Amino acid sequence: MEHSVTFTLDEKPLTVSVPTNTLLADAAHIAGIDIGQPCGGQGRCGRCAVQVTGGTVRRRSTLRLSPADIEQGYALACQTVVEGDVSIYVPPQEKIERRLTTDRVVAEVTVPDGYDYLQSQTVQRIHLELTPPSMDDQTDDWSRLQTALRLQHRFLQVACSLNLLQRLGTVLRAGDWKVTAVIDVSNVIRNDETNQVVRLIDLQPGHLDEFAPLWGAAIDIGTTTVSLWLVDLVTGKVRAQVAEYNGQIARGEDVISRIIYAGKNGGGSDLRQRVLDTINGLLDTACKRVKAKPGEVVKATIAGNSTMMHLLLGISAESIRLSPFITAVNHPPIMSAREVGLNTHPEASVDCLPGVASYVGADITAGVLSSGVDSAEDTTLFLDVGTNGETVLGNRDWLVTCACSAGPAFEGAGVVNGMRATTGAIEEVWINSETFEPTYRVIGGGRPKGICGSGLIALLSEAFLTGILDKAGNVKLTAGSPRVREGAHGGEYVVAWGAETESGEDIVLSRVDVDNLLRAKAAIYAGFTVLAETVGIELQNVSKVLVGGSFGKYINVEKAVQIGLLPDLSWDHFDFLGNTSVKGAYYALLDWRGRERIGEIAKRMTYIELSADNTFYEAFTSALFLPHTDLGKFPSVEMALKKD
Amino acid sequence: MPIEIPKDKWTGNIRAITIGATSADGGTRTKAVTVGGGTTMPYLQFEAPTPNKPVIAIEIKSRKPEDWSPLLAEVWGEAMADPARWAKKAEEAGADLLVLALTVEDSVEDAVKAVKSVLEATGLPLIVWGPGQAEKDNELLVPVSEATKGERLVLGICEDKNYRTIVATAMANGHLVQARAPMDVNLSKQLNILISDMGMPKERILMDPTTGALGYGIEYGYSVMERLRLAALQGDAMTQFPMIVTPGFEAWKTKEAKVGEGVPEAWGDWNARAINWETITATALVESGADIIVLRHPESVKRIKEAIEELIAA
Repeated sequence: MEHSVTFTLDEKPLTVSVPTNTLLADAAHIAGIDIGQPCGGQGRCGRCAVQVTGGTVRRRSTLRLSPADIEQGYALACQTVVEGDVSIYVPPQEKIERRLTTDRVVAEVTVPDGYDYLQSQTVQRIHLELTPPSMDDQTDDWSRLQTALRLQHRFLQVACSLNLLQRLGTVLRAGDWKVTAVIDVSNVIRNDETNQVVRLIDLQPGHLDEFAPLWGAAIDIGTTTVSLWLVDLVTGKVRAQVAEYNGQIARGEDVISRIIYAGKNGGGSDLRQRVLDTINGLLDTACKRVKAKPGEVVKATIAGNSTMMHLLLGISAESIRLSPFITAVNHPPIMSAREVGLNTHPEASVDCLPGVASYVGADITAGVLSSGVDSAEDTTLFLDVGTNGETVLGNRDWLVTCACSAGPAFEGAGVVNGMRATTGAIEEVWINSETFEPTYRVIGGGRPKGICGSGLIALLSEAFLTGILDKAGNVKLTAGSPRVREGAHGGEYVVAWGAETESGEDIVLSRVDVDNLLRAKAAIYAGFTVLAETVGIELQNVSKVLVGGSFGKYINVEKAVQIGLLPDLSWDHFDFLGNTSVKGAYYALLDWRGRERIGEIAKRMTYIELSADNTFYEAFTSALFLPHTDLGKFPSVEMALKKD
Repeated sequence: MPIEIPKDKWTGNIRAITIGATSADGGTRTKAVTVGGGTTMPYLQFEAPTPNKPVIAIEIKSRKPEDWSPLLAEVWGEAMADPARWAKKAEEAGADLLVLALTVEDSVEDAVKAVKSVLEATGLPLIVWGPGQAEKDNELLVPVSEATKGERLVLGICEDKNYRTIVATAMANGHLVQARAPMDVNLSKQLNILISDMGMPKERILMDPTTGALGYGIEYGYSVMERLRLAALQGDAMTQFPMIVTPGFEAWKTKEAKVGEGVPEAWGDWNARAINWETITATALVESGADIIVLRHPESVKRIKEAIEELIAA
């Protein structure tokens, strides 16, 4: 029986006549409409979704569609057959881009509920009006200022740097005894009974707008990536988010090689300068975006692993590397930017967040704060897919944590054509299982420059599922496509030919890259499985898996399961949180209560040492396979492989 | 009071695998060898008898090896220059089957000729090893495999970076493969999975866990073999393959076996020491569950056969 199928793309409908059971994709082809089918029409990618606006169709597979999608009439053109006269709306490609039920996108950062600058912020801008001196009142400038602080703001004790003291007289007179001060009021706002000293950060002549932006910076120093958020402390809003590779990478990819380098003559100061250059560079970029100057930034909160913190502060990290593996300091006191070396306001308060141990630093305590594991009712697994794969398992009653060296592959480093998730990065890839031709999406939409973490996860999974890679990651050179070829370091797969790319060079996934990715995913998977085993929790009983990492704006959890990075749980278990460390630093920057909570978290976490026995190594080698040596642990992947 | 010995109940067992095809099965071997089939940890006769006892393979080469110990050269003599003669002598020495190791100097013609001459000289089942360089292995083993179609040879050695070509040709020509992983339960399993994924029937895979000689990692190898066997008995299909070990190759590489001069006097007689080294290595491997033991010295063959008989009788 013939049916009419009417397609609507822009305005004018196209109608064709096809027999019963014709695929919508085939009908569209007859109508001359090009519906992209990146996976080769296998129903894997869900990129050919169209909307049935009238008539009867039968969906063979709805795996890629959410119940809401189906409610709205969405159907996959490659998996849906015509059973009567139908009308089909073909949405523009970019509209369906984010429709995959397996995609997890980082939520936009919003100011925490109930943020009240006056109640929460430890750095505040205040107006002061001093009594001018006279022959009758010969009080010195400094005492006069202290008096004003005491009488007008009840700040009984104040500390001040020599630098400010040197400028004090000039400022007071220039403002005709009206001045605007920026003060660190941590002790008072926290109601510390033993210490009520406030610290003067800045003094400007005249009464400036008290509620004009007051700049603060939340910083995460990752081993591979440094992220900085510029925040208006008055409104609490994040005004600029920037990130860059850590300049220390040139001196070693992992923390151990950095510590060794730091121990060499001049190595420590070299590393310190490199990370300061990276941070100060980011500060410049972020400030330019909001037309501010780095010198106007009056507070910085820093998260980072213990080694990064030591290297930033120029403290020897040697004891982190050597038995019994202790840090010099888990919780540095609040310092001034001048001491630390940041190009913010020299007197800006720099708060380095507290860590737990040598290999569980402030990045993870901050991550726990921002992910909320410490207040979760049900047992939650929090994974940081970073250079040091840190894992936290627990809930509001208990928290255990471990760390393992995963390497920087998922941040795009240590991979030939890897890059950070910025403009020009391939962030999604599908490979046609018949032709091995890829379809990819580039951040910003232009020519590709490289592949970022989420792109690498997708690429590895697609190459595996389409048979380009075997389970050990060997490239199957007999695949019969020019894209699968012998490269300089063994087999490789060409994702983009030189003619398509920014540089004119081919973008490839090499055998070495595959090995690095396999090791990274195996370390992370082994880390959380061993942790769960140690406390006797079955991963199936974890209610939520929160994934953090600075490898992109989103993750396709199905792909991440297929390569064996994430456990094979139903997709609704997963949330992607992006860079949880910088987000935690942001919460601590805004609100002293959040900052206190990080301290509590640090005290509550129990650290599990993975190198104590052979268990981790065993788990690691068995995870060093696609998706895992024990395929029974990945039933969904087993099914996907059978189907192919 | 009688003591009741507790018995383990296992859900899995080792696959029984047959090497070599007689004329009834489309080959030319006068006998086939079946190994594996175990249902308990090795030699626990009170739980279940050992269905197929371990077998001894003697390693010979396609051309006279220059780097072998003079002690071996002495015992095999002139036969070493001709693989067919060497094969015969090995059969006389008690080998259940043979390993013929090809060398890098072999051309394709040399390799095929050597294999064929050995098959003609004896009726024993045959294992053929490439020279151990991925490209050369593939170059030689494919024509050998084709020229011996249906003989149920074992082709090796497959490793995770180079297994595809060998497995493909073995599949196409009715042979078996030897799958070697570096002393790790997971890596062994992974290679077996890769080979099975290509469609190789599970009845045609032998597992080589990699041998460490006495004093050179034997404890580690022993423990890995024990754990592979435990995994197999617990029902893990990808470890249920008979194991082939190479104590001859490994023991004769050690300084203790190789060097006769300039060593401490306390080391004693060179010949006795060298053979002891091979035998002690091999005995430990037999006890940890090896099914095919590849040896080099005829005296070791005699001793290991005796040891196996004792274990079975015990």
